Amino acid sequence: MQPNRMLPNRSRTSVLVFLLPPLLLYCAAVLFPIFQSLFLSFFSWNGISDMEFVGLDNYVRMFVADDIFWRAFLNALIYLAICLVLQLGGALVVASLLTSLRRGRELIKTLYLLPAVISTVAIAFLFVRIYSIDPAGLLNQLLHWIGLGSLERPWLSDVNTVLAAVSAPEGWRFTGLYMLIIYAALIAVPKELEEAAVLDGASRWTLFTKIRFPYIRPVWITTTIMATTYGLRGFDIPYLMTNGGPGQSSELLTTYMYKTAFTSTDFGYASTISVFIVIECLVAVGLILFLLKRKAD
Amino acid sequence: MIAQAAPSTPPTTVPPAPHKAARRRRKPNLFRTLSRVLIMLIVIVQVYPLAWLFLTSLRTEQDFATGDPFALPSALTWENYARAFETGDLGRNILNSFIVTMGANILIVLFGMMAAYAIQVLGFRLSKLVRGLFLIGIIVPVQIALVPLFIDYSAVNLLDTYQSMIIPLAGFSLPMSVYLFSSFFEYIPRETYEAASLDGAGPYGIFGLITLPLSLNTVVTVVLVNSIFIWNDFIFANTFVLSEDLKTIPLGLQNYIGAMGKVDWTATFAAVCVTITPLLLVFLVLNKAMIQGLESGATKG
Repeated sequence: MQPNRMLPNRSRTSVLVFLLPPLLLYCAAVLFPIFQSLFLSFFSWNGISDMEFVGLDNYVRMFVADDIFWRAFLNALIYLAICLVLQLGGALVVASLLTSLRRGRELIKTLYLLPAVISTVAIAFLFVRIYSIDPAGLLNQLLHWIGLGSLERPWLSDVNTVLAAVSAPEGWRFTGLYMLIIYAALIAVPKELEEAAVLDGASRWTLFTKIRFPYIRPVWITTTIMATTYGLRGFDIPYLMTNGGPGQSSELLTTYMYKTAFTSTDFGYASTISVFIVIECLVAVGLILFLLKRKAD
Repeated sequence: MIAQAAPSTPPTTVPPAPHKAARRRRKPNLFRTLSRVLIMLIVIVQVYPLAWLFLTSLRTEQDFATGDPFALPSALTWENYARAFETGDLGRNILNSFIVTMGANILIVLFGMMAAYAIQVLGFRLSKLVRGLFLIGIIVPVQIALVPLFIDYSAVNLLDTYQSMIIPLAGFSLPMSVYLFSSFFEYIPRETYEAASLDGAGPYGIFGLITLPLSLNTVVTVVLVNSIFIWNDFIFANTFVLSEDLKTIPLGLQNYIGAMGKVDWTATFAAVCVTITPLLLVFLVLNKAMIQGLESGATKG
């Protein structure tokens, strides 16, 4: 008998009837393409001519000979870092502040989540105008008003600012989502624990680091994993706003892979890059689990 | 327990019943004020751009090109909306998004429930392995599937169809749905199933008569959470769809970028406002359920 079997008599066919359709869809859309990418990464193929087996050539090219790849990888890490700070940092601050409010929590939650409902294409349009210099967009106008006029610039064509400029909208978009999750965890911290600590004279900071944060650590791990995997697959906003430019200054691995596949129709090499992206995600998740779980013990 | 913890620090004896609400009030009010101001500021940063988007869609073109972006429109006009509907086929785009979202949601809910039922309720030897397989889909980025699916679709003539969008959207959302349903199924007591079994119901009957009706709340959660992502999907639609007739909202909006990247901004913003309205309305009406869904989605997954 299986411990998790709840129905005393069920036939083997009934298991298959329920399991096969979802598993087939999942294999067709997710699992099989992963293996296909792995397979294609050993070939040179433009989609029309015959596939040519090239062994590890694509990997050698990627790691040794392709500067754009490394540039895109570095950019992707910076993009990820900016997203994580905005999303998780912002979420933690707002969620903590929100617990100290007595009224209007629901309203603020709703308003804060609002950008998550908007499509990336709409967001890209919106931020192109926010960053615009002529006519002055919201950001440049704001800088002008608060006396930082020297900082005014075309944010999206300046190679020094473009990466941050395409990362910020992604951070802005989802911070509300993570805030909700962290907020839900924070209000689940038992009141007795907090009150006892306050009576012991704990400061707000100690209260947070010693009581609240350890309590929400499991949720924090989940949100960190979510935000990281989402950050690493970030694509829409940079692709739509700058298409990786100017030059390669806002190129991410995902946009580079996309262009390699569908502009240069180099399916083999594009698959090599996507295999790298998958490995990068798995490594990132492994690292987060390792680092955050170890600290807990 | 609280009273016992107290005497450890204060030098004077603490009266057993402190003045009412003193514990709350004793904290510096400055902190409370400061945090209110900070929250207001952050909320403004979150919401103002969207309000600005709407206001701009009501501006005249000239006002937009010359005026201060923060200023209120000098005159309100609906002309932008007229031009927006002329330029693109917004109705068609919304319909397509609706079809894709419905199609994907049906698959996600039905298949997610079925897989969870097989794993959690029926049980089988390799159920742990299958669970693990589904975990992969949560971690790996969707871009991995673009090239392979593009090749496979062109082999079986699925490029440029509704299915080409629905299949990967459903496939990549399926894992979360399976997890949500199986964690819900855990709460259905074993006795319910045993009683039904004694009454002669088989696995199919129990699925239809017990599991399905009981999980309606989870269905709502799954649908709401996934709809946000599917309705706004850009990457699959952009890769697999070419013809105007099948374009969903995100692709339709791109039509507003004219030749040489020239954009009629006020009309574009009007189009954006039209296209975000359906989901925004659903969100504002059902935001309690949606917020709950998002919260539970993350804490259980």
